[in-house]
Amino acid sequence: MLPYALVSPLALFIVALALVPAGYTIVASFYKVQALDPPTRFSGLDNFRRLFRDTAVRESIGNTLIYVVIGVTLSTVLGIAMAVTLQHRFRGRSVLIAVLILPWALPGVVEGIVWTGIWDSNTGLLNSALNSLHIINHYQVFLGQHRLLTIFAIELVQVWQITPLSALLVLAALQNIPGDLYESGNLDGASAWAAFRRITLPLARPGIAIAMVQAVIATLNVFDQPYILNGAAPTGASLTMQTYFISFQNLDFGEGYALSLIITIATLVVSLGVVKLVYRPVEF
Amino acid sequence: MARNHWLRRFGIVLIVVWSLTPVYWAVNTSLQTDVQVASKPAHYLPPTPTLRNYRAVVSGGGDIPNAIRRSTVNIFIECGVATIITVALATLAAYAFARLRFRGSKILFFAVLATMAFPAYTTLIPLYKIMSTFGLVNTYTGIILVYVSGFLPLATWILHSYMSSLPLAIEEAGRVDGASRMQVLWHVVLPLAVPGIISTAIITFLFAWAQFLFPLVLSSDLSTQPLTVAIAALQGRHLVPFTLLSAAGVYAIAVPALIVVTLNRYIVSGLLSGSVK
Repeated sequence: MLPYALVSPLALFIVALALVPAGYTIVASFYKVQALDPPTRFSGLDNFRRLFRDTAVRESIGNTLIYVVIGVTLSTVLGIAMAVTLQHRFRGRSVLIAVLILPWALPGVVEGIVWTGIWDSNTGLLNSALNSLHIINHYQVFLGQHRLLTIFAIELVQVWQITPLSALLVLAALQNIPGDLYESGNLDGASAWAAFRRITLPLARPGIAIAMVQAVIATLNVFDQPYILNGAAPTGASLTMQTYFISFQNLDFGEGYALSLIITIATLVVSLGVVKLVYRPVEF
Repeated sequence: MARNHWLRRFGIVLIVVWSLTPVYWAVNTSLQTDVQVASKPAHYLPPTPTLRNYRAVVSGGGDIPNAIRRSTVNIFIECGVATIITVALATLAAYAFARLRFRGSKILFFAVLATMAFPAYTTLIPLYKIMSTFGLVNTYTGIILVYVSGFLPLATWILHSYMSSLPLAIEEAGRVDGASRMQVLWHVVLPLAVPGIISTAIITFLFAWAQFLFPLVLSSDLSTQPLTVAIAALQGRHLVPFTLLSAAGVYAIAVPALIVVTLNRYIVSGLLSGSVK
């Protein structure tokens, strides 16, 4: 009986507050659930049809795809670069790792506020720095005007948050690579770039795959950063923001369930795709 | 090797500049007056550092300091209690999964791990509905229950990896001496697992501290709103100057930043345990 006593609190939480709600999301997305227009009744694919007819939702699908592409690409490239920097021991390495993980530990909301100080059109660091360097003559508006620029600026804030974990996951994979592989590489006269291409990158694939999956989950569900940096403005609104507006402002929970379900399925499909594409088992 | 050194130096500068510039800039802004912040080009160092923004955020009887102080109490209660419950339940379950054989253990462990692949917001609306059905919206209990359910899978996974790596011999010696399973868990395994437990607790606490959308939905007023929600509400009010907002931001990241500076070894080992296997 002891094992069941030990796991039952966990099981209770997982069943009652994760599995049952997840199942409920699936079922309820086929129902009309509107707080302002009861009663709740079965409505087939109606929620999905209305979602895809909603131009704001359609636009946010495009926005979210851009968030994912920018976020996954940048966090992976930066993560690998940072992991390679930390691959071999040197003095101050552990301090550098603490510096590295700082952005990961901070709340997304506050990161949004912190980065407002960089993007701001009147007092922002970027405008001031570009102006001091004579790259621009007039202060620019980075947020809320051009769609791509807005999304890039917002996503960079999320990249700031998720890159540390990517770097750590890749670093863990790198530290499993036996050092003598590089030594035999040196004897062959392999350049640093060739060693990186032929030894580091292939052997880090398991770590890179996990890093990309965590980036996919984070970016496909981005909320805090666009909500803080751009508020309810339609430019650059993400799918999760639409879910929030539809459910908790329009009080159309049925559509909210349907959109949650779409985001969840998209997250699972893209994550699996990344694993298939990138993950290769490695044995030493 | 010379070129490698050059590359590494570039990487080191990249990490330091990338991680610290935004934080430095928020601190720099928070130490200036509104007039100084409006200067073009900006002051890269505060010309006359002042703490008046911080005083305006936390002291006195106004609207803003009241909200910040109350939400600080809230966030400590919610994160602290959620962390304690999560770590306690995860420790028990992780021990069972790592050391005991029982029917259904594989299925249950798989179900726990599978929930980690789902985005957290999948359950946002149903959890809100459940909490409102039981009258738990705008209560500490509601928020803490949601946090515990959200963080249990990762905590169980980290502790399971950690306990699986502990040597079996000591536990078996305890069993031979006639100690019960619970005595072994309490007197032998727990002391050995302390580093793993600390890692799990820190990571859980940091995740809880960062939460925004769940408490935004689950708490409608200051009685339960955590600091993140209170600061986002400040940001939504157009009359709040950016210097003050920056001070509030720096105030809100002081605790996680302090944890990273002092306990980063535990964070790294916790995040990596079992991640690459």
